[in-house]
Amino acid sequence: MTIADNPPQLDRINERYLEIAIPVASFGATLAGILLWKMGFEINFQFFAIGCVIGSCLLAYLAWIRPKKDIVGLSTPIYAIIFFVVPTEYTVGVTLQLLYAVSLTILLIRLKYRFGKPGDAASMGKELADPIKTYIEQTSGSFTGICPETAHDAAVVFVQFTHGEYKEAVRRAGTAAIGQMGDVEHAATVVRAFNILKEHSALIDKSLPRPVTYEVFRPEESALLAKPYLPAYDDDHEFYAMLDNALLLLFSIAWNNSKADRPHLLACQAFVLKLLGK
Amino acid sequence: MKIGKVEVKVSIIAIAVFVFFTILLLIASVYSPDVRSQLIWLIPGLFMLLVIPIALNYMSRSEYADLEPLYEAQSKTVRIKMINAGMVGKAVRIEGVVEQVHFQFLNRPQYTVADRSGAISVKMFTTPNEDVKVNDVVEVLGQVIQRYIVTGDPVVNCISIRKIIKRQE
Repeated sequence: MTIADNPPQLDRINERYLEIAIPVASFGATLAGILLWKMGFEINFQFFAIGCVIGSCLLAYLAWIRPKKDIVGLSTPIYAIIFFVVPTEYTVGVTLQLLYAVSLTILLIRLKYRFGKPGDAASMGKELADPIKTYIEQTSGSFTGICPETAHDAAVVFVQFTHGEYKEAVRRAGTAAIGQMGDVEHAATVVRAFNILKEHSALIDKSLPRPVTYEVFRPEESALLAKPYLPAYDDDHEFYAMLDNALLLLFSIAWNNSKADRPHLLACQAFVLKLLGK
Repeated sequence: MKIGKVEVKVSIIAIAVFVFFTILLLIASVYSPDVRSQLIWLIPGLFMLLVIPIALNYMSRSEYADLEPLYEAQSKTVRIKMINAGMVGKAVRIEGVVEQVHFQFLNRPQYTVADRSGAISVKMFTTPNEDVKVNDVVEVLGQVIQRYIVTGDPVVNCISIRKIIKRQE
């Protein structure tokens, strides 16, 4: 079962069990070892370090599933192996394992309070985040008649730009802008989005500054844009807002009309959230 | 210190280690005849504590100096907001204000550079040519990498950082 398949509440419960399991496993195994020794079973005390090793692996897993990674949490299994690979006598073993269990517990608390909650399906790239969904739903009705080739072009151009392949994005956007739009109500807006992206990609590819005149969306198109133009914007702000809007518009067109490209678009959603200012 | 065309800087940590072991050796040689008899090995060993960091710094700085013209030619000027995980491996040029500086004393400085679109972490694995401080406006050339090599948010592995305007107060 993937994270996306789990209801969020179930994920939270599983996470809580894992959090509890870390001190239980690390302290529990050592305390069980102490108890067995007191009862006269003098088993090699190194074996009871298994609890600390399991606790370290669980902590590393909890660190891994968070969008913000904790390098200390991630590396605890390595330290567990380094510390416990060498056989130790009873007193040294007890001290080392208890100190290690305390450290794991402190690291768990640190992870919870400094590195946020585990990633949800959106942050793990399994489904779209709410702000993107809202924009896509808002514009879905406007581009229904768009032909699949143009929608695929929109996806490719978006992904190329996101990956910093500006020269390829210029070429593809130029071809797409003069291609078939299909029976679309807002065909001119789609062409403009491709042209804006082409212009910006060309400028970035040659590391050129903002030109004096540049392609812009029309005021009547503002209902389709994620970030409508504000009169308070200066030239720089307006120029870059046009790029953000063109990218978001092409993302929405691609998402709604080219289902095969959705996995590639999902992989770029962190960038889309940045464009939306989230 | 300059070796050839390369300005070599030794970190304060390397100097501190050298000073610590020098004092330790002085004290030990005063009190122990055994240590005095080994000074012929211990003194060169002590100087290696300085020579090795100097040599490493020289090698890394000359390597970075060779890379700089390549990055100068290949880097695309982007706004910080445009840098994302999909751009890993791409050469970029960013301009912005230095908001934070960390680990300068280790000769491995990490900067937080911000422009009007956002902020990004800029990591450098050697000493920069210029002494960059908070509020300096800088141009950074580097490569987009992930913070922990295979995971983490995108950061810039800095090849060159230079001030384009002196400190903004």
